[in-house]
Amino acid sequence: MIKYEQKALLNNPYLPLSCRIVASTVQTDDTMLFKVRFEDDRDVEAFDHKPGQFVQLSVMGTGECPISIASSPTRHGTIDLCIRKAGRVTEAFHNLGQNAVFGMRGPYGNGYPVEVMEGNNLLIVAGGLGMAPLRSLLWYALDHRHRFKDIILMYGTKNQHDFLFKGELLSLINRNDIKTLLAVAEDIDGSWTGEVGLVTDLFDHAELDAGNTFAAICGPPVMYKYVIEKLLEKGFSKGRILMSLERKMKCGIGKCVHCSVGFKYTCIDGPIFTYWDAINMREII
Amino acid sequence: MSVNQLSEDAFYNLIDDLNSKGTTVVAPVRNEVGMVQYEKVTSSKDNFAFDEVIGRYSPKDAFFPQHETVLRYREGENGVEVKAEEPEINDTVLLGIRPCDAAAMISLNKVFTWDYIDNLFTERRKKAVIISIACNEADESCYCTSVGFAPDGKEGSDLLFSKIKGGGYLAEALTDEGETFIANNSTCFSKKDKSVELEPIAEVTDLGVNIEHIKRWLDKKENFEHKVWDDLAAKCVGCGGCTFVCPTCHCFDLVDEPYGDQGKRVKNWDGCQFDHFTLHASGHNPREHQPQRWRNRFHCKFKIYPDRFEKKGCVGCGRCIRVCPVNLDITEAMIEITAMES
Repeated sequence: MIKYEQKALLNNPYLPLSCRIVASTVQTDDTMLFKVRFEDDRDVEAFDHKPGQFVQLSVMGTGECPISIASSPTRHGTIDLCIRKAGRVTEAFHNLGQNAVFGMRGPYGNGYPVEVMEGNNLLIVAGGLGMAPLRSLLWYALDHRHRFKDIILMYGTKNQHDFLFKGELLSLINRNDIKTLLAVAEDIDGSWTGEVGLVTDLFDHAELDAGNTFAAICGPPVMYKYVIEKLLEKGFSKGRILMSLERKMKCGIGKCVHCSVGFKYTCIDGPIFTYWDAINMREII
Repeated sequence: MSVNQLSEDAFYNLIDDLNSKGTTVVAPVRNEVGMVQYEKVTSSKDNFAFDEVIGRYSPKDAFFPQHETVLRYREGENGVEVKAEEPEINDTVLLGIRPCDAAAMISLNKVFTWDYIDNLFTERRKKAVIISIACNEADESCYCTSVGFAPDGKEGSDLLFSKIKGGGYLAEALTDEGETFIANNSTCFSKKDKSVELEPIAEVTDLGVNIEHIKRWLDKKENFEHKVWDDLAAKCVGCGGCTFVCPTCHCFDLVDEPYGDQGKRVKNWDGCQFDHFTLHASGHNPREHQPQRWRNRFHCKFKIYPDRFEKKGCVGCGRCIRVCPVNLDITEAMIEITAMES
């Protein structure tokens, strides 16, 4: 058990809180979904996030890295983190094992402007690991279903092995209060019964009312260009396209400058930017 | 605000008095290889270099140390114990820094206090008194007057000392903290003598640049891809020296340093000139080439600081020019951009 001595003279903004892995499920070869909970119930109570925010995850001796929160604030108590082994910290985190204790601080970032989005249709477009931050928004909207009009989910991955939250998302197909469109770029063993193609191909299966819809998109850098082209083609205004962007981050609190893009800080002003913001920010992706 | 004076002897007595009260005194000293640095001094017998144009590194280290432990951990039988670092922050006097460096502290303070507050910085700043000494000499790299500052500038200092002809200093209080400092050390100060004559203030080369025009040029989107960046920054080797000596550069990294079953997390200076600075774990790097990184630093000084913090990002200390191993001179870019915008 980690014992954190928090009674520091200074209010040290870099000190993580003690957290425990309470469950983990394999998603793909290199990606796991972890359910985590703060050790101290007061921390559980105090933690309040918006969809689209992130946390700084801490493995002592290895370091910290930013991870999107993959669960909705409507499911209070535990926090889901969908983590791909991509670098030293995520690798070390995967190796911690069941019931391990680690450090976490946050939530950080602006999150989705849900108050503004409510009352509109919601289009979620995700590619690969980009589903992780959008899962928070997805379940926020489904748990507050009456606050949104039509909800459409478009999710594409390289192949069925890279598909995240498989059972959960497949089960959404049977719900009639959300249109669920799923695609794989390559059906590697003939087992895929859905669409084979790119996420942009899914636009052919949806009718979109661009003026009354917010589109939230997240995926690998290459995906943005093509999805945004589609959205603009469908008549979306730049302010209704919400992108979740990633940068290398260290402090998470607008000091260390690693994530700055021009005078914007991805950790404070982002990671959610409108396309309107993005076209005015150079080197953003 | 009051104006007093202190003799040469009183000036050195002040150093001893402060030390005897337990106050940390940081002042320019010449080390064994002849380099001038701002260091903790313990007696008036130290090897001072108050007449040196400027120290090699900026005194930002006093509030924003190059390496600063933020927490320590130890793996025990019951798991990992983590403890926040509680640095002992002593009353400190920065004695004899230059007005440009004092001005830079205002910009740094803004960074560490906007939105979240970095108490590690602010607690140090709160316990410090900044005493600048006006410059009587400038070198060929100094350009403070070209970016809106002056060799006897008052921004950011609690007290400004100006050298009196024949010895001693005129001491002008600029803040309440400065007044209190004089009151608390009244034995060293005396009333200003009417006939006092100051040493002439340094003449700093005027580059003929206009930072408003530079900002205006940077604001134009098309100039982001201007060939000036490649032309000027092609020779940059990415050593990051400019960022480490700069008084307003504030990038840092948080790094774990394990030693067996225990270790610490350290806030280390970092620099936007390093290739790993924006490198994602995926291998993607939004600033892949050195000229892009140099462009970023230039933007940070003349556009980002004013846009985000409404402060100046460059105080004209000239250190980045002095330290650069390939003679990459930021003023060349300033001059060229001013010419293009005029």
